[in-house]
Amino acid sequence: MCEVDTITKIANSLGVPPGEVKLNSEKIITRTNNSKTVSGFATILNTLAQESESEIARNSTASREISADVYQWIEFAVLYAAPGSKDKHVSQQLLRDFNKLFSTKSYLVGYFITLADLAIFYSIYNLVKSLSPVDKENYLNLSRWFDHLQQRPEIRQGGNVLNFTTIYLHGWATGTHI
Amino acid sequence: MLDKIPNMKIYTNEGNPFGFKLQLLAKFANKPVEVFKVALNDPICKDFLVLPTVELKNGLKLFSTDAVAKYLFPDEGALRDEWLEWSTVNLAPALAQHLASGHRANPDALPVLNLLVRKLDDRLAESPFLTGDKLTAADIAVWSLLAPDGTLKGAQNIEYLKAWYRKVTALPEVQAVLAETPLAGLTFTSLLNSNRYGGLSLVPVHVHSVSESEKLLAETAGSLSDTVTEDELNNARNSFVQVSVPQRIEPRTVLPKVGERNVLITSALPYVNNVPHLGNIIGCVLSADIFARYSRAAGYNTLFICGTDEYGTATENKALAENLTPKQICDKYFDLHNSIYRWFGIGFDFFGRTSSSQQTEIVQEAFNDVYKNGYIFTESVEQLMCVKCDRFLADRFVEGTCPHLGCGYEDARGDQCDKCGKLVNATELIRPRCKTCSSAPVVRSTEQLFLDLPKIEPQLRAWMESSEMGWTNNARVIARSWLREGLKARCITRDLKWGIPVPLAGFENKVFYVWFDAPYGYISMTKHYTSEYKQWWIPAKDVKVELFQFMAKDNVPFHSVVFPSSLLATNKGHTMVTNIMATEYLNYEDGKFSKSRGIGVFGNDAQETGIPADIWRFYLASARPEGQDSSFSWNDLAARNNSDLLNNLGNFVNRALVFCEKNFNSIVPTMTLTKDELVLLALINREVRGYINSLEKAKLRDGIRHMLSISRHGNGYMQAQQPWVLLKGTEEQKARAATIIGVCANIAALLADLMLPYMPTIARTLFAQLNTKQTQLNPDKPFINIFLPTGHKIGKPAPLFTKLEQSFIDELKKKFGGVQDQSNGNKVTPANAPQTNTITAKPAASLPNGTQTVAQLEEAVRLQGEKVRQLKASTKDKAVWQPEVNVLLDLKKQLTAAQAAPPAAVASAPAVVDNAKAKELEERITQQGEKVRQLKAAGDASVWKPEVEVLLKLKGELATLTGAPQGKNKKKK
Repeated sequence: MCEVDTITKIANSLGVPPGEVKLNSEKIITRTNNSKTVSGFATILNTLAQESESEIARNSTASREISADVYQWIEFAVLYAAPGSKDKHVSQQLLRDFNKLFSTKSYLVGYFITLADLAIFYSIYNLVKSLSPVDKENYLNLSRWFDHLQQRPEIRQGGNVLNFTTIYLHGWATGTHI
Repeated sequence: MLDKIPNMKIYTNEGNPFGFKLQLLAKFANKPVEVFKVALNDPICKDFLVLPTVELKNGLKLFSTDAVAKYLFPDEGALRDEWLEWSTVNLAPALAQHLASGHRANPDALPVLNLLVRKLDDRLAESPFLTGDKLTAADIAVWSLLAPDGTLKGAQNIEYLKAWYRKVTALPEVQAVLAETPLAGLTFTSLLNSNRYGGLSLVPVHVHSVSESEKLLAETAGSLSDTVTEDELNNARNSFVQVSVPQRIEPRTVLPKVGERNVLITSALPYVNNVPHLGNIIGCVLSADIFARYSRAAGYNTLFICGTDEYGTATENKALAENLTPKQICDKYFDLHNSIYRWFGIGFDFFGRTSSSQQTEIVQEAFNDVYKNGYIFTESVEQLMCVKCDRFLADRFVEGTCPHLGCGYEDARGDQCDKCGKLVNATELIRPRCKTCSSAPVVRSTEQLFLDLPKIEPQLRAWMESSEMGWTNNARVIARSWLREGLKARCITRDLKWGIPVPLAGFENKVFYVWFDAPYGYISMTKHYTSEYKQWWIPAKDVKVELFQFMAKDNVPFHSVVFPSSLLATNKGHTMVTNIMATEYLNYEDGKFSKSRGIGVFGNDAQETGIPADIWRFYLASARPEGQDSSFSWNDLAARNNSDLLNNLGNFVNRALVFCEKNFNSIVPTMTLTKDELVLLALINREVRGYINSLEKAKLRDGIRHMLSISRHGNGYMQAQQPWVLLKGTEEQKARAATIIGVCANIAALLADLMLPYMPTIARTLFAQLNTKQTQLNPDKPFINIFLPTGHKIGKPAPLFTKLEQSFIDELKKKFGGVQDQSNGNKVTPANAPQTNTITAKPAASLPNGTQTVAQLEEAVRLQGEKVRQLKASTKDKAVWQPEVNVLLDLKKQLTAAQAAPPAAVASAPAVVDNAKAKELEERITQQGEKVRQLKAAGDASVWKPEVEVLLKLKGELATLTGAPQGKNKKKK
C-alpha cells in the first residue's frame, strides 16, 4: 500500500478528515488540512493523532514514553517494513521478526492498540496477503495479530477479510488410502 | 544532576553514524551515556531489530534515533519534527546508497543527494539554523549525517550550508563528542550491519526526472557484456567447434554398469481410484519424467519406474458401490491413469501395478527376511468395528475428536489429524464415529503384526545422516521432525481381503497394510520390467546406483522413514534413496483443486482444452512448487505461452531458420567469429552451465529460466546486429550476416537439445526443421559447440508455438471454476447443463429463480427427490449425492416462496422471462457462431470442435424454449 493510501486509511480509522494527501515535487508525502501543510509520514501521523479524539489516538499519546515507542514503529514501517516487504529475502526476515515479537505481546506498544500497529499493519498488508496458507501457519503469532486487527471495522474499512484458515490439498500419496 | 544513575545506554555497531548522532543528542541534553560497541549477532542483541538501540534509564528500549531525539527534546515544534524525519527518511538513505561500495552503490543516489543538499543550502540562506534562530535536534541530526565520509569535501556553491556546518562543528558539545569518537571511524557502509533488512539500501530514493532513468537502462545492458572475462571468451572460441559425440544407443533393457552413472528414478505411486489433477502430475510423474529425460540426454544409465497403487479399503468400497470386483475396478482406473500419462508424454520405462504377482513375491519375501531378522512382533490390537456396517473400520473410515493435547479438532481422521498434522491411532480418538453411518463403533481385539521401528531407529539415523544431503529442504525438515518425536512400532497388517496375504501361520486371513505394500511396488515393477531387477535394487559392490524419488511433501515420511527402515531390516544391501525430491503443493487459481466441487483441471481435462501436451508440460514445470506452494493460473499459462514460448523462444528460432532458408538456400553459411559473437557465446555458456547445474539437482524451474535466457540473448544479438540490413550491403557486410545467421542456427540447435526434457514433441519437430538429431549433453563441458557445420542443409522452418487468445483463456477459466457433475464427469456449465443432465435438472438450471409456477416446481421437487433417493441407494459417497440434495433443498425453498406469492403475478411471469431468455440465447448463438467461424479459419480441429459443440447445444436450448426447430439443427429431435 502506498503512503498516500495508508495516510488516508489511518485518518479514516482515527475519524479525522484526511484532507489533501499527496506527494510534493520532492516526492515527500504531504497533508494539507485547513490550509496547514505538514510533510513526512510520521509527522503527519503525529498531527492526525493530535486532532483525533479516538481510542487509538489517545492510546498513542498517553505518555512521553509511549509516544516515543509508537514513533519508532512508524519509522520502522517507513524505513524497513514497507520497502522490505517487496524484497524476497528481507520480507522473510520481517515476517520472522514480527512473528517472534508477537509471541510475547498482543500489540506493538503497551497492552493496547496504537498507531504503531496501524502503520505496520498497512505497510505489510500486501505481503501478508500474498502468503500461502502454509506460511500463514508458520507465522502463527503474526497471523493472530494481523487477523485480530483486520476484524476491527475502522481498520478494515470495508475491505476483504484475509483468510487465515489453513486446510491443505491432500489426496495424492502412495497408500493415501481414502 | 540528580538522575545520573543509571545512565542511558547506547548499543551500536562499529562506525555507525546514527550511534554518533545519539552521542551528540545525549551530550546536548546533558545526559551521561555509556556506549557499547556490539554486533547484531551478539547474545546481548538477541532481541534487537536495529542498531543503534538505546536503553533509557527507565528500561524503555528505542531503536529510532528520532524517537530518542523527540523524547529528549519534546518541545521544539512541528517544523523540527519534519526536518528530523527528513534527515532519516530522505537524507540518510541517499547518503548510504551513494556511499555504498561496489555493486551495492545506487547510481541514482548522487543526483538525488545533490538536490537534497541544495534544499539544505536554500533553507540555511533564510535562517541561521534549520528551524529558525536556535539550534535544535534537527541540526544535530543533519550535521551528524553530513560529517562522516567527508560528504561536503570539495562541494561548491553551498556557502550557507558550509557556514552552518562550521558553526555546528565548533560547538563545545560537538567537540567533546568528537574527542571520544573521531569522524575517521564513521562510515555509512556500517549501516549494512546495523539491521537484517539490508541497511537503508531498500528505502526508495526518488529520481525526479525521467531522462535519468532512461540513461540508467542503457548502462546496465552494456555492463553485462563488460563482465565477460578474457578466459570466458577464449573458452567460447575453443569450444565453438564441431565435436563428434557418439550416438547413444538405448539398450532394450537398461541395466546399471560399473564405472558409469546409474540413475534409478521413481515417482510416487498414484492411488488407482483417484483421478490425478495438475498438482499431482507436476508433483510426481511429470517432474520425474523431465528429470529422467535430462538424465538420458546427459548419457546416464537411466531407469524410470512408476505404477498404480491398487490395494486397500478404498478400492474394495468402490468395487462394492459400482458392483464390480476390486480387480475390475483397478483395471478400469489403471487404463485411465495410463492414458492420461501417455497423453502428457510421460516416458516411463515401465508403468506397472501393485496387484501383480511380482508384488506378492517381493513383499512376502521381504516380510520373511524382516521376520527372520527379528523386526516383527505380534500384538493384540483393539480395533474399531462398526456393528451397523458389520465390518472392521479402516483408519480413514473413523472420525472423531483429535486426542492430541491442545488440538481437539473434531473431524480428525483415524490415521491423521488434518489440523495438527500428527498421526493418530484410530482407537485413541475421542468420541469416534463411523464415517459411513455415523454410528459409534465398538472395540474388538485382534492379533496383528508390527514392524519394530524403534529397534531399527539407530541404523536409520546413521543412514539418514549420510544420505540426506541430496534431499530437498522440505524432505529433510519433515524427516528430521519425525525422528525428533521418536519412532513408534507400526502395525503392518489389516483384516481385509483385497491385498497381499500375510505368509505366516495364524495370519492367513489378513493382508499387508500400505506401509508394507505400496513402496515395494518400485521393486516389483522393476522385476516386472526385467528379471535382472536385482542389478538395480541389490547391486554388486562395485556398481553405484543413485535413487531419485519424486513426490509431493505429504509422501516424505513413507520414503524417508518407513520404507528405508523396512529395507534396512531385511539387511540385504538394498539400494536406498539418495535424493528425495519433494515438492510443495500446487493450488488452483489461489484455491484448492477439488474433484467434488469440480474446481481445477484434472488429467483428462487438460487434453480436452486443445492446448498441446508440451505447453502444459512447460507451464507446469515453470510453475512447479519448489520451495513454496505455487498456483496454477490460466492467465499465467497464457502469458507464459505467449511471451516466453511464442515471442521469445519460438520467435528467435523461427527467425534464425527462416533467414537461413530465404537468404542462404537452407544451407548453414560460413561463420567467421568476431568479438561480438564470442561475447554472445560466452554469455550463452554461462546459461548452459546454469541449466546443467539446475537439472543435475532436478531444479526444473531454474532450468527453464536459463534456457529462456539463451534465446533472450539470441534475440538481443539479432536485434543489435540487424542481419536483414547487412544482407543488402557490401560483400563484407553480407559475410557478417552469414556469420550471424550461422551462429543463430547453431543456438537454435542448442535450444532444441535443452528443451527436449521439457517439451519432447516440440523438440523433435525442431530437430526435423534443423534436419539434425539430438546431441548428447556434456555436463563436464557445458559449452555451446558447432552442431550445424557450414554446408549443413536445414529442413523446412515453421512456427513452433501458437498464441493463446485471452477470450479462449477466459472461457477455460469459467469452465473449470464451476461445479462438476460427479455421476458422469461432465462439467455443468450454463452452456451445456440442459443437455448433459436428465430433465429433472432442467427447470432449475435454465430458468431464473422464483419465476416458475407452483405446478412446475412441485413436479421438479418430486423428480429431484426421486433422483436423490436413487443416488443415496447406489453409493455412500457423500460427495456424489450432496450436490443433488442441495438442488432439492433449493427447489423446495422456491416452492414455498412460490406458494406464498400472489398467484396472478406468478402466472404472468414465465412468458415474459421466456422471451427474455430466448433473446439472450439468440444473442449468445450469434456470438458463438462468430467465434466458431474465426476459429475454423485459423485451422486446428481440436480447438474449434468443442466450440461447435457449444454452438449446437445453444441452438438446441433455444429450440426447446421456443418450441420451433432452428434451421439446419435437425438432429435435435
